[in-house]
Amino acid sequence: MLVVEDNEADVFLIHEAMEATRLPLTLHVVGDGEQAVRFFDRADDDPEMPCPALVILDINLPKKQGGDVLEHMRRSRKCADALVIAVSTSDSAEDRERMANLGADEYFRKPSGYDEFMKLSDIVKDLLGGPGPLRKSTGRT
Amino acid sequence: MNRGSAEALTALVSRQAISDAVFRELVEALPVAIYMTDAQGRLTYFNAAAIKLSGRTPELGTDKWCVTWKLFLPDGTPLPHDQCPMAVALRGDDVPTGIECIAERPDGTRFWFMPSPAVLRDGEGRIIGGINLLMDITDRRDAEMEAKEQFRAIVDTTPECVKIVARDGTLLFMNPPGLGMIDASYAEAMAVKNVCDVIAPEDRERFRAFNEMVCSGQKGSLQFDIVGLKGKRHHMETHAAPLRHMDGSTVHLAVTHDITERKHAERVSLLLSAIVDSSDDAIISKDLDGVITSWNKSAERLFGYTAAEAIGQTVANLLIPEDRQEEEPNILALLRKGERVDHFDTVRRRKDGSLIDISLTISPVRNAQGVIIGASKIARDITESKRIQAKLVESEARFRQLADAMPQIVWTARPDGYVDYYNERWYEFTGTGRFAFGDASWEPILHPQDLQIARDTWYAALHSGDPYNIECRFLDRRENRWRWFMGRAVPVRGAGESIVKWFGTYTDIDEQKQVEDQLRRANADLEQFAFSASHDLQEPLRSIKVYSELLTKRHSDKLSGEALKFMNFLRNGATRMEILVRDLLTYTQARRFDQPPEVTDANEALKTALANLSDAIASSGAAIKSGPLPSVAVNGTHLQQLFQNLIGNAIKYRSPERLPDVRLEAEQQTGYWVFSVADNGIGIDPKYKETIFGLFKRLHSSDEYSGTGIGLALCHRIVDRYHGRIWVESESGRGSIFRFTLPV
Repeated sequence: MLVVEDNEADVFLIHEAMEATRLPLTLHVVGDGEQAVRFFDRADDDPEMPCPALVILDINLPKKQGGDVLEHMRRSRKCADALVIAVSTSDSAEDRERMANLGADEYFRKPSGYDEFMKLSDIVKDLLGGPGPLRKSTGRT
Repeated sequence: MNRGSAEALTALVSRQAISDAVFRELVEALPVAIYMTDAQGRLTYFNAAAIKLSGRTPELGTDKWCVTWKLFLPDGTPLPHDQCPMAVALRGDDVPTGIECIAERPDGTRFWFMPSPAVLRDGEGRIIGGINLLMDITDRRDAEMEAKEQFRAIVDTTPECVKIVARDGTLLFMNPPGLGMIDASYAEAMAVKNVCDVIAPEDRERFRAFNEMVCSGQKGSLQFDIVGLKGKRHHMETHAAPLRHMDGSTVHLAVTHDITERKHAERVSLLLSAIVDSSDDAIISKDLDGVITSWNKSAERLFGYTAAEAIGQTVANLLIPEDRQEEEPNILALLRKGERVDHFDTVRRRKDGSLIDISLTISPVRNAQGVIIGASKIARDITESKRIQAKLVESEARFRQLADAMPQIVWTARPDGYVDYYNERWYEFTGTGRFAFGDASWEPILHPQDLQIARDTWYAALHSGDPYNIECRFLDRRENRWRWFMGRAVPVRGAGESIVKWFGTYTDIDEQKQVEDQLRRANADLEQFAFSASHDLQEPLRSIKVYSELLTKRHSDKLSGEALKFMNFLRNGATRMEILVRDLLTYTQARRFDQPPEVTDANEALKTALANLSDAIASSGAAIKSGPLPSVAVNGTHLQQLFQNLIGNAIKYRSPERLPDVRLEAEQQTGYWVFSVADNGIGIDPKYKETIFGLFKRLHSSDEYSGTGIGLALCHRIVDRYHGRIWVESESGRGSIFRFTLPV
């Protein structure tokens, strides 16, 4: 899975939440929007490189905004179908709607309590089809 | 001589009252042709006059009297000899009296005669002969014919209508001019049964009475209207006399004159004299020597002389001041040449010696033959207009002086939009010459983007007569850039409410405009900044909170009691900061104008607010009571925020001595509602009643009452956005009433 997040404190919390899922996940982290875009371009170019099953995408990113990254990804030959959870400190309806329109599968508002943050693991488990073998990420509607 | 005289003669002869000799002498001397015949009509005697009449000497005893003549009746039909009056008489038949005949002699000469035959009878009454007197009436007939011809000639050549009307109104005769007046042919006129049919209806009765009067033997004259057969109306004036008709009755002979034109001329002349009399201008006529011949009422008023005093005097003596005496000869010289004098402004003298300013217009007057016989002169008092003109010049000068002293561009335009004046500022600004005014003189320096709106506004104002304001850019040639101007124009109305002028200014608002723009940009930037700052501020706060929590959770065994206490401060500080930032975000968003207008049911907004406050209400035991609330034109979230903050405050600042009791009410005023939120809390010292609405203004420490100091500032900001007002009525310890107004 790909984590696009510039705040290391949040990357740590996401790690903890992913561990809590007890799923065999490999996290690849990039710190800004441009790195994320390059990641998808490389995946398109390199047949050896796998696509992430899930992308956790912060909306506010340096260099390129989360929305732009999502748009880019949905145009990728290989990774267009990856599941996406948009994350943000903002709770604004505008942001939610915009990301949903761009094809985000879930929206998670980063809370300011540890336990609440860990609820991200439930969302990931739900998306990936529970604690079984990895669901193929093609069933997105 | 008539039949009576012939019979008397016969009687004399038969009675032999006089001797034969005397009788013959007598008869011979008579100037009347006399002859006698036997019973067969053969001549037995004729006198000298008879020879003269017949043109030959007949043979006694053989010739018959008439044999050499051809006889005719007056109408020209031949009269056979056996039908001639003597032949008829000798047959013993009655001969009508007064017969007139025409005889034609063998030489072709004709004469008129009147025969008076009588028969001679013997003792038994048998006709033994006849005697006839022939009176030559040729002279009389000729005279009659001549009179008749003369009459006809007169009647036919006169331009007047000549007609003869019977007592019963029958038209007996009408000459061609008369026929012309009624647009009828002779036949058509004779077909008119009653002459009254062509008399105008309103004049018929008068005409009938007049006709009756004339036919009764009186002369008279009458004016009446006729309506011709083609409907054309004429005014007529008739002069009528009674005439003895052939049948012995008296008829009405009339000569009637068409006075339509004369009547018209009379009216025109009456009208003209009425105009002259009612004119405010003095109207005077004079002859070519300058002698006054007429003088109207206004002339009396203007110059002080009555018509009687003025007429007959010369203009030069009466009216012209000494120093202007040379004017009159010049004027008279012009008039003699047939030229007129137009609006000649001069000075004349009144009867009382005072002088007046007048404007003269003098035209030559010609007689019917076109010869100049005098002049008509119109004099207008221009004292007042001169005074007004002087005043106008003065006020215009004052206006220009004022306009030039103004820092704005000033212009005036005629009601049709023609710009007829710019002040000095315009020429300074544009650098154009003084000749550059007029219709579109302002267009070349106008910004192309402002041209259409400026034109539309200006022409619409000219059409509606309404004043207007407009902002537009003019090219500043000195700095070679566009400068913003505020244009204002107002119509100046005259006495009759009609626009006599447009007055306009252009004020340089470029700096003001720039400041405004900067301010608008700064405000937008600030809002954007506040929005993103509050947004971005939340992220690090969140980290501080989560990690201080995590630190406490996972490493409390390694931390001292003091460290844990500090950790708590850290987390509380972060939490407060979080609330502050969130409230600040709400505050900056409250002024955004992009929400569409909506109508909100205040009861619903209150319900939401109370739901959000349910924890605080439950824990404080507060009682919230509300009367029925109206719907208002306010965004729902805004109204909810108002209620939530005010009720939240009422609960938060409750008195420790009593349970909070909050009452909401709304009262309608014209155009707006006044909402009130009253509590029984700790109240507010009146000296703070203004400051509490400021941002971050708090009256208490966070230890006493938590809060960010944004709540009331937000309320103020929301109410302000709807052009409402919010205020507090309170005293310390006595509770508070917050009131705010919102549009209906």
